[in-house]
Amino acid sequence: MPLQILSEPPPEPEEMIGKLEAAIAEALPGATVEVRAGGAGHFEIEVVSEAFEGKSRVQQQQLVYGAIAKYMSGDGAPVHAVDRMVTRTP
Amino acid sequence: MNLDDATRQRIESIIASDRTVLFMKGTREQPQCGFSATVVGILDRLLPSYTTVNVLADSALREGIKTFSSWPTIPQLYVGGEFLGGCDIIQESFSSGELQRSLGVESGADGAPGITITDAAAEALRGLEAQAAGRDLHLQIDARFTSGLFFGPSEEGDLRVESNGVTLCLDPISAARADGLVLDAETTPEGPAFRIDNPNAPQVRQMSVKELAAKIESGEAIELFDVRTPEERATALIEGSRFHDEDAARRIAELPRDALLVFHCHHGGRSQKAAEHYAALGFRNVWNVTGGIDAWSLEIDPAVPRY
Repeated sequence: MPLQILSEPPPEPEEMIGKLEAAIAEALPGATVEVRAGGAGHFEIEVVSEAFEGKSRVQQQQLVYGAIAKYMSGDGAPVHAVDRMVTRTP
Repeated sequence: MNLDDATRQRIESIIASDRTVLFMKGTREQPQCGFSATVVGILDRLLPSYTTVNVLADSALREGIKTFSSWPTIPQLYVGGEFLGGCDIIQESFSSGELQRSLGVESGADGAPGITITDAAAEALRGLEAQAAGRDLHLQIDARFTSGLFFGPSEEGDLRVESNGVTLCLDPISAARADGLVLDAETTPEGPAFRIDNPNAPQVRQMSVKELAAKIESGEAIELFDVRTPEERATALIEGSRFHDEDAARRIAELPRDALLVFHCHHGGRSQKAAEHYAALGFRNVWNVTGGIDAWSLEIDPAVPRY
């Protein structure tokens, strides 16, 4: 039986940063988004958005996590963990 | 990620099944990850009972709950149907007291519980004053309602309750578990032995075989466990009962804490012990069948052999 490649090689952090920023900006139009790479698969995210107005910190983070869920689910997910998430209103 | 309707409905019904539901890795007794263990530790301090769901045992739930909550990590805590957060946020809200407010376990200024200290206990405590060395007498009650009396310094937030001339200090969480408590003592050759009767402690209730038969007849959702040996089961058994083995114990640990759990054995002794074990784990609807299968043979079904 030939060897199978089970998952694609992890994308370069810079590429992943771009994808994450785009996904968050799409979900929260007008938001200022900054994503930094930590260790392998680890990221830090800072988002400033009017959409956070009147929401609890958990609800604010849920909006961001919801936007990037597709990069965080499954065993071979390119985003392993968000080490730090800061959400603010402008 | 899309969440299929069946999984979504399953998650919704789990969240609705108890006021406090923790999605975690492992079980309350055996957490399989440090973050889950941390949250269990916090909840154990605050609540006698809550529901845990082991996502490691169910891959659809493991991924499904992340999508459902828009939250990428486990554990996840739901209270009253509302998502409160993961490990970091629960730790923070525990420190700030916000979690206690959400769980309804904070005690305000009028939170002092009614405690009765009997004459015998009051006298025995006064006899220990020399040991106190100026420190306060504390009563502590943990999540499994094990109580402890000790002398020690008081902390901010402790409540003071006076009865029969004796002042007891209780931390707010113990105080929430102490209303109606009676502290009694008897004299023994080794000194006073204190006895605490706490009506808030989880209790095993007794069910007659007639009541059991009626419950089975009515079709009510009932979990009837047989704690006897396989040999005894081969000799005689109550239709619909389940053998209480390790698998059964694991399954019970996953049930909502208000599930109707009924235990029986031959005469009611072993099953009482088993029932007490589950009551101590926080199950609130735990029953022992009085007289066991022997009473069942005598009163309900003579076709079940006596032995």
